[in-house]
Amino acid sequence: MTSFSLKIVTPDGLQYDGQAEEVIVRAVSGDMGILAGHANCIAPLGMGKATVVADGKRRYAACIGGILSVMNGNVTLVPTTFEWVENIDRDRAERAYEKAQAVLQDKSATPTDIRLAQAKLRRALVRKSVAGNR
Amino acid sequence: MAGISAKEIKTRIRSMESTKQITKAMEMVASSKLRRAQSRVANSRPYFEILYNSITDIVQQNADLSSPYLTQRPANKAIYVVIAGDRGLAGGYNSNVLKMAQAEMKGKDVTALPVGRKAADYFKARNIPILTQQYAEAEDMTVGDCFSVAKQLCKAYLAGKCDEIVVCYTNFVSVLTQTPGTLRLLPLVHTKSRQQSSDILYEPGSVEVFDAIVPEYVGGILYGALCESRAAEQAARRTAMDSATQNAQDMIADLSLKFNQARQAVITQEITEIVAGSNSSF
Repeated sequence: MTSFSLKIVTPDGLQYDGQAEEVIVRAVSGDMGILAGHANCIAPLGMGKATVVADGKRRYAACIGGILSVMNGNVTLVPTTFEWVENIDRDRAERAYEKAQAVLQDKSATPTDIRLAQAKLRRALVRKSVAGNR
Repeated sequence: MAGISAKEIKTRIRSMESTKQITKAMEMVASSKLRRAQSRVANSRPYFEILYNSITDIVQQNADLSSPYLTQRPANKAIYVVIAGDRGLAGGYNSNVLKMAQAEMKGKDVTALPVGRKAADYFKARNIPILTQQYAEAEDMTVGDCFSVAKQLCKAYLAGKCDEIVVCYTNFVSVLTQTPGTLRLLPLVHTKSRQQSSDILYEPGSVEVFDAIVPEYVGGILYGALCESRAAEQAARRTAMDSATQNAQDMIADLSLKFNQARQAVITQEITEIVAGSNSSF
């Protein structure tokens, strides 16, 4: 399969820099697959699983927020959080999930707390589902 | 010995020594913090650069879009995000960035968003309106904070509360050099002529894409600027404390010489007196 150059950078560093044959990410409007020769394209990312196919091998990651851009054949993924499946701390995600649930059950929680808890819950769910896929 | 007695010199040496110990300790703390900050800068730099380049690309390639983020309005009101440190004793770090911010702000209707206690104090003292004091601690600011600030700024920009958003920070060039710099976050500048045909696919739609991407971009750039500034602060502090320690050492050496001279003078005088006394008894 033809490959294209892919770069994945997060505030924590460069996560991937090299050739890939296919990328599937969760954009805000749904899953998007990118193959070589894709038209120039910009899409904001949602929260979900990202799949990178390089050398015929599939790698999975949790990918949250950010931007996907395809410019002249170069694909750049600039997410806020990007964790390869092997780097996901499952226990931490589990703990975050339970904590967020507890806040959401709590009737005395303030609207800001609830909003934060909801965001945390969503992130934890993404991590858990990606890690469960291993 | 002329002027100062040996005892006075001794007290000064002792106080110099304790100052030296403090500056030495501060230098060591700054060094270890610098190491951490440096690795963070090294990690975030590619993000900072790629994010900046891809947004510039998008803006350049884009021809037909009339997003409010791209339209240049007469810059009447501006928000300046100024990143300085929480503490002093860092050489020219705080004053350089604040001076530059002040020069940039001249003649504009400015609201400041200080990051770092020194910046907050500076604008308070000069009666410059402050957007929020929430981020007065630069040390505690996280990535999440950067993104929430960005959201807030974009909202203010879209609502027409400001026409321009600029960030003032310090570039960490190397351990020995740090240069203050400014970066205009909004509106996005369109430098090339608008002749290129736009063939970019916006998913789901151009307006939604820009609405989602721009806060992300602003947040990312702010975080990058914060990382640079933090590393620059520690580097500046380390250099300042290193030279302070050096100065203290020089002064101690100088004072010890004076002390020894004074002590020697006292001994010589005593001997002279004894000799004179024994001579006169014959």
